[in-house]
Amino acid sequence: MARPDTELTIGELLDRNGVSRRSFIKYCTAMASLLALPPLAARAMAAQLRAARRPSVIYLSFQECTGCLESLTRSFAPTVENLIFNVISLDYDDTLMAAAGAQAEQARAQAMEANYGKYLLVVDGAVPTADGGVYHCAAGRSGLDILSECAKGAAAIVAVGTCASFGGLPFADPNPTGARAISSLVPGKPVVNVSGCPPIPEVIAGTLLQYVTTGRVPDLDEHLRPTVFYGNSIHDRCYRRPFYDRGEFAKTFDDEGARNGWCLYELGCKGPTTYNACATLKWNNAVSFPIQSGHPCLGCAEPDFWDRGSFYSPIPTARWGKAGEVSPAQAGTLAGVAALAGAAIGAGSVVLARKRINRNKRTKSHDSEKGNEE
Amino acid sequence: MSALGDIPIHVEPSAEKSVGREFGVGLGAILSELATLLEALRSTGEEGAIDLRSLPLGPNDLDRLRRLLGSGEVDIRIDANGESRIRETAVSGLWWTEHRNAAGEPLAVLIEVARVPNILLTADDDLARGAVRLRTVASAQFSAPGETPHGTT
Repeated sequence: MARPDTELTIGELLDRNGVSRRSFIKYCTAMASLLALPPLAARAMAAQLRAARRPSVIYLSFQECTGCLESLTRSFAPTVENLIFNVISLDYDDTLMAAAGAQAEQARAQAMEANYGKYLLVVDGAVPTADGGVYHCAAGRSGLDILSECAKGAAAIVAVGTCASFGGLPFADPNPTGARAISSLVPGKPVVNVSGCPPIPEVIAGTLLQYVTTGRVPDLDEHLRPTVFYGNSIHDRCYRRPFYDRGEFAKTFDDEGARNGWCLYELGCKGPTTYNACATLKWNNAVSFPIQSGHPCLGCAEPDFWDRGSFYSPIPTARWGKAGEVSPAQAGTLAGVAALAGAAIGAGSVVLARKRINRNKRTKSHDSEKGNEE
Repeated sequence: MSALGDIPIHVEPSAEKSVGREFGVGLGAILSELATLLEALRSTGEEGAIDLRSLPLGPNDLDRLRRLLGSGEVDIRIDANGESRIRETAVSGLWWTEHRNAAGEPLAVLIEVARVPNILLTADDDLARGAVRLRTVASAQFSAPGETPHGTT
């Protein structure tokens, strides 16, 4: 008698489905690229993935716009169907699953019971906590209640999107529903934040894939984001960076500087204080990203991005201090230099970024212990 | 307006003119790394690769790099759940590799530094499966009474 899918390794499933070795190596090459691994790591990754079993995944949605899930469904590598059928066992997602109502809730309960302590909980959206959590209810229960129940038996929790990671739009001032980030509501559980509004599809899929490949939570920064995707600022990896370093800025959206592709810093670009992979992975299968399309970065992957003033005002000098990990005095000096000659601050921010990464490495173990003590 | 082609277009001067050679990550750095990898292959046999999609390249940098490396004699097409194309560059040992998915969308672009790219080699498991398949085909073909691979008895 054939063994059930849940007992098969990913390699056995691939063989059964007629996926050739070359197809799989190719897939792993794309994955290694996504995870910023050395290209030759694809061979080791293929061996590890083939031996792994697909984890059960429960996907919950709270105060959100479904943009994050829409984003995931547009992942090119891995594609969402590849992810769902070959890499994970998506046992509950009330938007994607065919079942509804009591049947769907039953599927969730069964998956949680069968995989207690081992399943991966993926959450998008913030959770309203004011007035007993009445501002989000599903199946007759509050979001807060559902999250608490599902978090208990989860091996790890992945908070997808800025709303789940930091509260996002629902958390914005005056936050009438008492919205809170997932990490502040699940004490003691390892949480991975995949921020962005929405996050890059390949970053969501890649984070899940990395968990399956290694069987553990990835290395995280101080905001609990995977350093492999959030380790560099947009500014550090921006192809327009040489213009910044030379002090060549677009002043309006239709001036000569804008037409020549100069730096968008003075049009409000938040690239220097935003950590994400947009400048390298880009969007829509690496076609472009906002800055390449002529628009400043909004900083959507950072906490409180809605409450940080206009999207079209240059970053205040004090903000450099906050994001760049330097004192306000240093930041003020650097930003002042930037207006005159970008080269100095260009070099400075690279150093700052490196410092930040090193600091993250040093505090990583502390962060993972601290986790949800927000 | 009858067609898009009727819309007059004024072409702005190329941004590249003001950017010069420093656009993007710097192709010089990539060429230098390739030279190091090629030397490692020559002296120790160690293979290497550069993942071009992980670098902050400007819009024209990939094309420029491709032109710089030129074309060699070998051009291989793999049909494995989408097309892969492996082209030898004018520099022996450097292979320009592009993987696409079943919908034809690019998955990975890399320069491999190897005598033969690894994906082309037949794996041991595949050899074993091939032998079984061949025996199955042969036995089905020559299963009629009195028939052998060497003719009719």
